[in-house]
Amino acid sequence: MSWHKKILRVNLTTGSCTTEPLNMEWANAFLGSRGLASKYLYEEMDPAADALSADNKVIFATGPLTGTMASTGGRYTVVTKGPLTGAIACSNSGGKFGGELKMAGYDMLILEGESDKPVYLHIEDDKVEICDASEIWGKTVWETEDILAKKYSDPLMRFAGIGQAGENLCRYACVVNDKHRAAGRSGVGAVMGAKKIKTIAVRGTRGVSCADPKAFYRIVNEVNARMTDRDEMSRDGTLAMMDVTNGFGSLPTRNNRSVRFEGANKLNPEAMHTPNENGHTNIVTNGACFGCTIGCGRICKIDPKHFSVKDRPEYHGASGGLEYETAYALGAACGVDDIDAATFAGFICNEYGMDPISLGGTIAAAMELFDIGAIDESTTGGIKLEFGSAEALCQIAEMAGKGEGFGADIAMGSKRLCEKYGHPDLSMTVKGQEFAAYDGRSMQGMGLAYATSNRGACHLRADPYGHDFETTEIAGKAKVVAESQRDVAFIDSSGLCLFPGGCGWGMDDYVELVNAACKGNWDPQETGERIWNLEKLFNLKAGLGKKDDTLPKRILTEPADVGTGKGLVCRLDEMLPEYYQLNGWDAEGVPTKDTLKRLSLG
Amino acid sequence: MDISVTLFGGLRHFLPAGSSFNKCSLPLGEGEHLDALLAKLPIPADKAYIVIVNDQKVAREDYSDIIIKPDDHVVLLPPIKGG
Repeated sequence: MSWHKKILRVNLTTGSCTTEPLNMEWANAFLGSRGLASKYLYEEMDPAADALSADNKVIFATGPLTGTMASTGGRYTVVTKGPLTGAIACSNSGGKFGGELKMAGYDMLILEGESDKPVYLHIEDDKVEICDASEIWGKTVWETEDILAKKYSDPLMRFAGIGQAGENLCRYACVVNDKHRAAGRSGVGAVMGAKKIKTIAVRGTRGVSCADPKAFYRIVNEVNARMTDRDEMSRDGTLAMMDVTNGFGSLPTRNNRSVRFEGANKLNPEAMHTPNENGHTNIVTNGACFGCTIGCGRICKIDPKHFSVKDRPEYHGASGGLEYETAYALGAACGVDDIDAATFAGFICNEYGMDPISLGGTIAAAMELFDIGAIDESTTGGIKLEFGSAEALCQIAEMAGKGEGFGADIAMGSKRLCEKYGHPDLSMTVKGQEFAAYDGRSMQGMGLAYATSNRGACHLRADPYGHDFETTEIAGKAKVVAESQRDVAFIDSSGLCLFPGGCGWGMDDYVELVNAACKGNWDPQETGERIWNLEKLFNLKAGLGKKDDTLPKRILTEPADVGTGKGLVCRLDEMLPEYYQLNGWDAEGVPTKDTLKRLSLG
Repeated sequence: MDISVTLFGGLRHFLPAGSSFNKCSLPLGEGEHLDALLAKLPIPADKAYIVIVNDQKVAREDYSDIIIKPDDHVVLLPPIKGG
């Protein structure tokens, strides 16, 4: 089997580190990673508890395929109650940390309680110790990793931790691993900050076995051969989407005032690959996570002559560059078409540990507040926070990372910011979480997916892309969203990445790998539906309900201005009842007794 | 007449030689339809794409019904997924 069948539990209040057997009954029902960690969280904590209290728990969970030779088998998930949303948070990351945690012999690491002083966790296979973090508390993610890598003199040690944003309880602080990969969404880093745990340093030397190694090896090679279009993803990464959404008219621009950005051609793959007037090229190379055969990551450099870094050589090196979501949030959403400025703001997110989607979405909301006069330079500390200002973007990003001045307001997230300044309707959020890079008017299925996502607005909780690019008519969208939410939950729980699905893999390829690794005949729809309903139950107990399955007024009442969806608003009210029905939920979006019984949840 | 066509993402590989980064101009006779224009691009039959003419998506079954006019702007998008 690909599970180690072992959990590491660390109580930060008492300082105890213990191991225990994995509950295999639950593993067989929820697979691993996102699904299995959600089950543990649901059973072990009160969903109504304050996300930043000692009663919350943080679970780092690998999937059964994490650490195996399966392509993209390096994923892990951080599951907790999200301080941005008040909902269940499950934030997924690649890089090399997940594989290392699995190699150390653990399916899952559960952090509970809270420390009274800053600490970090050091894991080397069976050796586990809680260490004093006074030397690294207050440091950036990058500084922390450098200090501890030098201390342990082990180039293969991997880290997942927080920067100052997490320490300052920024509502969208993330957990960064390998310096520029992140469990980015919903504020999982703030929960670590509240518990005063700075980072997890892990080194593992054990292998990962599986149920049928021979069959697994054969299937890995077979499904790899079925992977197509990798060259495109290697060259352009997810940034290829920029031209597609801009051409289609679904690129949220200036806080969703528009769905097309006139500066998109300065943020697209060609802009990244073309030397600027100084002869500087943004991209250096692509990058791959553990076991990945795609390599969609962007490794980039900022032009040393750019205003953001010209006297700051520490930012002249290569690091994680713009993905599509970052380019949207730190570019189009703010009306900024300066690729170096957006790259710099992205570096700041990695360094201080912030979700760039939520940071960009919040700055965009602040820019609209500034534009309508709800805030002015006396609020922002003298910064002219105008749409399109690359200078303002860079300044505010650093202030948010440090929690300084108006940056402390930005660190609250768009919802709390807009409420504070009297314009809650200007927050482009669902359940308090900022929109990703698709507009729910020209992509109606995405609108439904945002509204019903258990972790707040998210582009990776469903797969309505094909249907949305095919038609703006709403017939069939509820089914596509409901069924793809289950498929995605299954993939997220396996330890694999979603992106092979964009490179030729179908669900059968994922299932073949899981069956060979875990033994059995897994049904992704059944397992995924069980996971989706469990997350829903957590949210209901946390106090969320139908009122939270909605979209901002702008998306429901202001028609898209251009593109294929010109003149349309999101027809959520027409799609939602069918979506609830397809899920076996009542009119209030609550799973019925029959549904829970069918899924062995009740 | 010459019609402006923009190809995004991986579809760029099917632009005629000498095209700019993602645009080309294709000759088309008066009164000819969209399917005749698309046939001038060497895109394999099994390659999926979306066609937008003047900001309006065109359904596949309508390719042979749409008459292309001189000022029309035709865009081809690959149906990729997000990240």
